[in-house]
Amino acid sequence: MSYVLLAPEILLTVLALAVILIGLLVSDKSKNILGYISAAGLAASLLLTIGNRGGDTFFYNALVIDPLSQIFKIIFIAVSLLAVIASIHYFKDNRNQDEYYGLILLATVGMMVVASANDLLSLFVGFELASMSTYVLAGFEKKNPSSLEAALKYFIIGSLSSALMLFGMSLVYGVSGSTNIPEILAYFKTAQVSGIDILAMVFLVAGFGFKMALVPFHMWAPDTYEGSPTVVSSLLAAGSKKMGFVAAFRVLVLALVAVRADIQVVFAILAVITMTYGNVVAISQKSIKRMLAYSSIAQAGYISLAFVVMTQMSIAGGVLLALGHAFMKGGAFLAVAVVGYMVLSDNKNAKNTDDISNFAGLGKRAPITALSLFVFFLALAGIPPSAGFIGKFVLFYSVTSEAVSTASTWLLVIVVIAILNSALSIYYYARVIRYMYVLPPAGERIHEPLPYVVAILLAVIGTIGIGLYPEPVIKMAMDAASVLGVI
Amino acid sequence: MFSEPDSIFPAFIVLLPVIAFVLTLFLGKKFPHGGAYFPIAAIAGSFIISLGVFLEIYPDKIVQQSLPWFANMNIGILIDPLAVVMLMMVTFVSLLIHIYAVGYMSHDPAKPRYFAETALFTAAMLGVVLSDNILQFFISWELVGLCSFLLIGFWYHKPSAAAAAKKAFLVTRVGDVLFLAGIVLLYVNLNVLINKGLFTPEHGNFILQFKTMFEAAKLIDPTQLTFITLLFFGGAVGKSGQFPLHGWLPDAMEGPTTVSALIHAATMVTAGVYLVARTFPMFAATPATLSPGVPDSLLIVAYIGGFTALFAATMGLVMNDIKRVLAYSTVSQLGYMMLALGTAGAVVGAQAVGISLFHLISHAFFKALLFLCAGSVIHAVGTNDIREMGGLFSKMKITGTTMMIGALALAGIGIPFINIGTAGFFSKDRIIEGTFEYGEKTGDMIPYAFAIIAALLTSIYIFRLWFMAFTGKPRSERHPHESPNVMTRPLMILAFLALIFGFTHLGFYGYLEKNFELMGVEVAGHEGEAAATSPIVVLLPVLVGVLGFLIAYAIYYKRILNMSKIVSSNNPLYKLLLNRYYEPTIGADMIGVKLTHGVVAQSGEFVDRKIIDGLIIDNIIGKTTFCLGEIARKLQTGVVQNYASVTLLGVGLLLIVLKLVGGI
Repeated sequence: MSYVLLAPEILLTVLALAVILIGLLVSDKSKNILGYISAAGLAASLLLTIGNRGGDTFFYNALVIDPLSQIFKIIFIAVSLLAVIASIHYFKDNRNQDEYYGLILLATVGMMVVASANDLLSLFVGFELASMSTYVLAGFEKKNPSSLEAALKYFIIGSLSSALMLFGMSLVYGVSGSTNIPEILAYFKTAQVSGIDILAMVFLVAGFGFKMALVPFHMWAPDTYEGSPTVVSSLLAAGSKKMGFVAAFRVLVLALVAVRADIQVVFAILAVITMTYGNVVAISQKSIKRMLAYSSIAQAGYISLAFVVMTQMSIAGGVLLALGHAFMKGGAFLAVAVVGYMVLSDNKNAKNTDDISNFAGLGKRAPITALSLFVFFLALAGIPPSAGFIGKFVLFYSVTSEAVSTASTWLLVIVVIAILNSALSIYYYARVIRYMYVLPPAGERIHEPLPYVVAILLAVIGTIGIGLYPEPVIKMAMDAASVLGVI
Repeated sequence: MFSEPDSIFPAFIVLLPVIAFVLTLFLGKKFPHGGAYFPIAAIAGSFIISLGVFLEIYPDKIVQQSLPWFANMNIGILIDPLAVVMLMMVTFVSLLIHIYAVGYMSHDPAKPRYFAETALFTAAMLGVVLSDNILQFFISWELVGLCSFLLIGFWYHKPSAAAAAKKAFLVTRVGDVLFLAGIVLLYVNLNVLINKGLFTPEHGNFILQFKTMFEAAKLIDPTQLTFITLLFFGGAVGKSGQFPLHGWLPDAMEGPTTVSALIHAATMVTAGVYLVARTFPMFAATPATLSPGVPDSLLIVAYIGGFTALFAATMGLVMNDIKRVLAYSTVSQLGYMMLALGTAGAVVGAQAVGISLFHLISHAFFKALLFLCAGSVIHAVGTNDIREMGGLFSKMKITGTTMMIGALALAGIGIPFINIGTAGFFSKDRIIEGTFEYGEKTGDMIPYAFAIIAALLTSIYIFRLWFMAFTGKPRSERHPHESPNVMTRPLMILAFLALIFGFTHLGFYGYLEKNFELMGVEVAGHEGEAAATSPIVVLLPVLVGVLGFLIAYAIYYKRILNMSKIVSSNNPLYKLLLNRYYEPTIGADMIGVKLTHGVVAQSGEFVDRKIIDGLIIDNIIGKTTFCLGEIARKLQTGVVQNYASVTLLGVGLLLIVLKLVGGI
């Protein structure tokens, strides 16, 4: 057991506390430095995480470092890093910056604990740490009523979901006598399936489904993404959402063993409803943040296809799409933040800064942002060469090959629905692209602030880079999937 | 240091111009000359690396690097003799043209865009040359095509330039589709072989690597192989402007002259020749059914090439636009290169690659020279029309002299038997001799006839151009002046090369001959005994060159014939040539506008818009989807109690579903 493997978490925890402490000591003006410190810490922790392959457990089997945890940690840290870089400008001269950066770092640590959780309790603790921090972050613009509303709704539904999840966990403990995931797995392999097991699984699905924003546990998501500060929306949609997925990957293998085929049907229904609902509702949105929220719901629907077949390749596909989505959606929200900045610099009291009409002529007004957003949209729609394409390709391919090898028609039908959904999504992305490049601009060209540009370009590099050279990440995702020990 | 298996230098041959592209595009306008120094420095770097690689691998090593990309595809670098000579030529010519462009483009406001696009073009072209597998080759090839489109349409506000760019894009696209079809067919065939266990790639799983392709070539069904190679050749025909896809190249002269020199004379158009040379072992492995002893694909390459050489030269005779003359000359010379691959391939096997490539390189030098001279002339007099020039030699001595050297090289003038002469003398005349040897061996003298008549016409049209532009009385009121040093220096360097490059021919042939051996590939073919050629065969190409010079001298300098009579009368032959065999009418108007746009596209549009869009999408799918969207939007009440209820309702429904399917 070497604590070096936990260095990224330790580093971020210490840094979070340090940032809050430094904030107490320095004047409001010099707090701008905290953003840079946090970004540097996250970058260092990202390098540490990429550098280690893991293969060890900690604290009486409560945490495990394995390829699955590592790839999700990379996602979480990368998203936080992008959000922090952009926040350097977004929260410039805000006197509560110390709390803001401290919370982001703690939220990241929480998500990383979830990724590493090998025990239902450590999972729950990580989940709550991340959730509590993000509840506050969502309401960080105290004077803005819609930010407060966003935070409150998020908090209420979040608490309800936590309760459901905790209830599910207690039932699992009740039947198996353990909270350790491998031990529970061993128990379920031999035990008879009972009604309690099913109840437990449904509660767990509901708890994770809240974070993943699967329909019908998604209701909070559009309101929260819309109302929160845009950089926080980026963190929520691109990062904390993935926490639900990694938790589900870790725990729902149990469900697969416990209730076998039945849970597949549940996920098939959830996946199809979620992707279709997300895409259909996204079409009629006027607010781009809401549109992105629904598109994010749709993406969660695609990713949950991984649970439907639960083969190594499908899980790898899910992980890949989660990774790609982190860059595409994170970047897209940051680009919307630039538009918000642009609108506010035109008119200080502007409302609805993310209304689609503000995107008219963006190609002329903010060319880097517009081009990047163009890239993110095409990637979200799954057009090659992009991370979105690679993820969807591997995922759909895995479901198709499973359908062929088990000769099951309904799996094929699901793939067809997923592909039709991808096609449908192009409609609302293309509409924004039309606004950006065809319609005349409403004002002069603006100066795009450097922190935004850096963060957005990093996201573009991630999106396109994975699309152009997918081999290493595919290998990482396959390794991660092999940890779960399915087929 | 450059050629170790893990050296990063070879990759930088391509990466440097890519970096220059990004820098110039974004920062160019903040630097003098539109950021021209970025591409110049980058391409100089690429040239130095190429030279370093060459010095290290000469004479018998190759560089191979490969990374897995996805599935059974890879990204890789292969520098063999064939690639290294192309690398040095492309980087060197591109470097000179970039330097020249600093002067030539000095008055253009869009300089950053120009230099960014030429840098990207150079990177793409180097990518084509370096590729070690056909897929990467194709991707770079497409990128080259894209850059060509952007640069032909560089002055996009000129309708003729925009139209020319579109034409080039569409016509070469025909070739590209054939090429892609060839790759797909090859991939399918290879997979069939592997699945049947008939073929196991020796070099790992990357089945589209050239080596693997060549190894498998013998096992592929012969008819399929002929199809595959002919589809590849279709791509080459498009890119290298061979008949019948030649029409775009003369129109491409609407771009800046530097672009014409770089892309449409020296580098991009040779990509087609390079493709055939690169995949030569596959062409050579095709069965000989049409003519005994000659692989079918090579025979077709030879005929198309030979015919193009002659066909384009006839049009070069009558063009009045200085750049169009040179454009047809390029088409014709590319025909020679194809001809060399086809005929010499049948006689001397893999040596044909050396013969063809030698002409390719020497052509790159003297054609770039001719284009840059033309650019210098256009820069000075402000017109492309040679009828409005005349008497320029006294004003533009450097341009006039260097252009004469270029013309001599193009006409292949030299002294046989003692082997002194211009680059074209060695390279082109060797091709013509090759066609003769081919004729002797197979009894088929048609390619030789193509080659020798085309040589005569070549000489006539190029000296006609020179005499009309540089001698006689000025025919318009202009005040020409010699171009600045930044433009004339590259001319002198290229002229020097056009004079001396030919002397490397023996070393060159010997080096290139070993190309496929070094890759460990055996080329099916014939051990070359270059038959002792009779003196008349060696002499004839030079004689027709000199004859052409004399004819041009007599008509356009001494004016013993009044050309205006022939030209102005309703001479049907003249009209046929001037109208380019009605290729624009047939190609653009009839096939392009009337057939494709008028019939196919319009009916497609009707079905798509009226039936699919109008009826199905709008009314059925569109309206339903929007309705559903609206309903769902109303479900999102914004009241948090509702959200909680829905969540719990979801839990209940899930339980019910599980109960139903699980029956527990």
